[in-house]
Amino acid sequence: MATERAGAVPDRGPGRLRAAARLLGAEAALTFRRPRHLAMLGVLAVVPILIGVAVRLVAGDGVTESIVAQVAGNGLVLTFAAFFVMLPLILPLAVSVVAGDAVAGEASQGTLRYLLTAPAGRGRLLALKYANVLLFCLAACTLVAVSALVAGLVLFPSGPVTLLSGTTVPFAEGLLRAGVAVLYASAGMAALGALALLFSTLTENPIGAISATVVLVVVSEVLVAIPQLSALRPFLLTSWWNAFDGVLRAPMDTGRMGTGLLVFAGYIVISGSLAWARFTSRDVTS
Amino acid sequence: MRNGARAVKWGVPIVAVAVVAGVAVAGPVIAAVQGDPSLPERTAQELLADAARTWQSGTVRPMSGTIVETASLGLPSLPNMGGGASPFSLLAGSHQAKVWYGGPERMRLMLPGEMSESDLVVNGDQVWWWDSAANTATRVKGGPAAGRPDASPFPSAITPQQAAEEALKAAGGNTRITVGKDATVAGRAAYEVVLTPTDGGSLIKDVRLAIDGETFIPLRVQVYAKGTAEPAFEVGFDTVTFSPPAPENFTFTPPPGAKVEEAAVPSFTRLPHGKDEHEADAPRVVGEGWDRVLVASVPKGFGQDPAGTTGKTTGETTAETTGKEKSWRDSADGAASLADGLLKSATPVSGEWGSGRLIRTKLVTVLLTDDGRLVAGAVTPEVLYAAAGQK
Repeated sequence: MATERAGAVPDRGPGRLRAAARLLGAEAALTFRRPRHLAMLGVLAVVPILIGVAVRLVAGDGVTESIVAQVAGNGLVLTFAAFFVMLPLILPLAVSVVAGDAVAGEASQGTLRYLLTAPAGRGRLLALKYANVLLFCLAACTLVAVSALVAGLVLFPSGPVTLLSGTTVPFAEGLLRAGVAVLYASAGMAALGALALLFSTLTENPIGAISATVVLVVVSEVLVAIPQLSALRPFLLTSWWNAFDGVLRAPMDTGRMGTGLLVFAGYIVISGSLAWARFTSRDVTS
Repeated sequence: MRNGARAVKWGVPIVAVAVVAGVAVAGPVIAAVQGDPSLPERTAQELLADAARTWQSGTVRPMSGTIVETASLGLPSLPNMGGGASPFSLLAGSHQAKVWYGGPERMRLMLPGEMSESDLVVNGDQVWWWDSAANTATRVKGGPAAGRPDASPFPSAITPQQAAEEALKAAGGNTRITVGKDATVAGRAAYEVVLTPTDGGSLIKDVRLAIDGETFIPLRVQVYAKGTAEPAFEVGFDTVTFSPPAPENFTFTPPPGAKVEEAAVPSFTRLPHGKDEHEADAPRVVGEGWDRVLVASVPKGFGQDPAGTTGKTTGETTAETTGKEKSWRDSADGAASLADGLLKSATPVSGEWGSGRLIRTKLVTVLLTDDGRLVAGAVTPEVLYAAAGQK
């Protein structure tokens, strides 16, 4: 597999971009064809359907409250409910598996040194790996949204969407807001992916990189929940993921989401530069 | 040479960390470099007069902004108070609210929670309280003016204007008023008026009012307790823009599917001042100036029964909450856990006035007498004992 990619040597000049795109395509094909990744994507697609079915089953019992009640009234809201449920742990888990495996997986299989014989350069290889992670983040979040949308429209009525502020917007604008939520969630996952990629360059054991990322997510979720440590909250990645609910307010809470995006960018810049420094200066023996 | 190249490579992440840290702290650093703003000299009287004129004449400029409220009263931690919807959650920790002000009769206050939101929308005589978590829109009767807390000894107001008004009203003749160093609040240069109580019994060291240097609108109120360096209570703008907010902020129509309720403004916002002119169990205020304390009768089930703490329940209270509306249940839960936490930290006390339990925080002292009265104020326990003594 590795030789197939290494064969696509990028030239200097106009063909370079196309070559990079071809490399990314090959890399993405590997990622999305791997059975364990497909299984994970399957889980991501099934969870929103399960939420929808569960809401549908309890909807008649009069125990509906908050966002759940709104799901029963409008299928589109299931998209936001799905993100609310899946952003804290399930989506980060999927991203950690793909990004944590990116470099360490090649190292553990012994394919990393063959990759590095290609004149593409280590920096570019790392950029390629991260581009692939970005693609996966976007795909995973889109999959969740689409699955929730389809399940929501099948199980529940659709129509104008009631926002958290009590304002009602047309269905089309609701869809647009769901799109913004997908992009925001993807950016949040991309920040975690950068962190996982850094761990991936530190070890030759992919499980180590994956579990380090997951442990970090869980620990920071715990830290966010402790009121005495509220001073830490603005610096933790996990406390910004749920800011996607800003799309459900009127006017849209761009301030908080903007700060969230800045935090994500900070994580990506720091993790990315550390990963680059580590990956370009380490001795690759396997 | 290879080591040299490696060192250069590791320089990149170090620069990246520095840049990110720089962006993260740029705001405070720039503010520190700029130093304190210098506004034209004004005496405290002039400032207060300007400020009072601004809000009495109703010429407060339309604006919108984010308000941050921070309370560190030294209450026992309140773990069950997640979400921003319950008013009781404002008593501990830091909370954010957004405010849109379009005129005296047009305003919106938004308390964001995680995947929930509470809104107070005032438009003329239409006052709505929207709680997305309970999916309930409550139409408040009585108009905005009736909702103003009156003569309450607690910092119960939420916007800086109301809080400043309260502080000035509370000041009376027992206050030394000085002008402190100019401050920067929400990026604007502001005068700082310092109100220092001269009453010995007050727990308050001083109250600092930051008044915008251009518009004379109060931008921040800080209450410092005696012996603390950090404010015990603070409410102020984090960001503020002086431009008319979009009109759709002030229109509220209950969304389809939501429960619509009607409610009157809770009667405890208007407290009679004085004593024995009213029935014995009505809350009343005793004392003058900063030593004012609130005397109220405690519902019998206080501490055991969540319903008893919110409803104006007198006589026999049963533990039934089933008849209560859902929108109030959250508040009742908040009140119950607050009461539980407080009662755990209460110490038994007794004296000539009788006996009871005393709850002390940095800013507020509460005395629960065994004969069923609640005496509270921003004062030392001795003042409360004196108030409890005069039946």
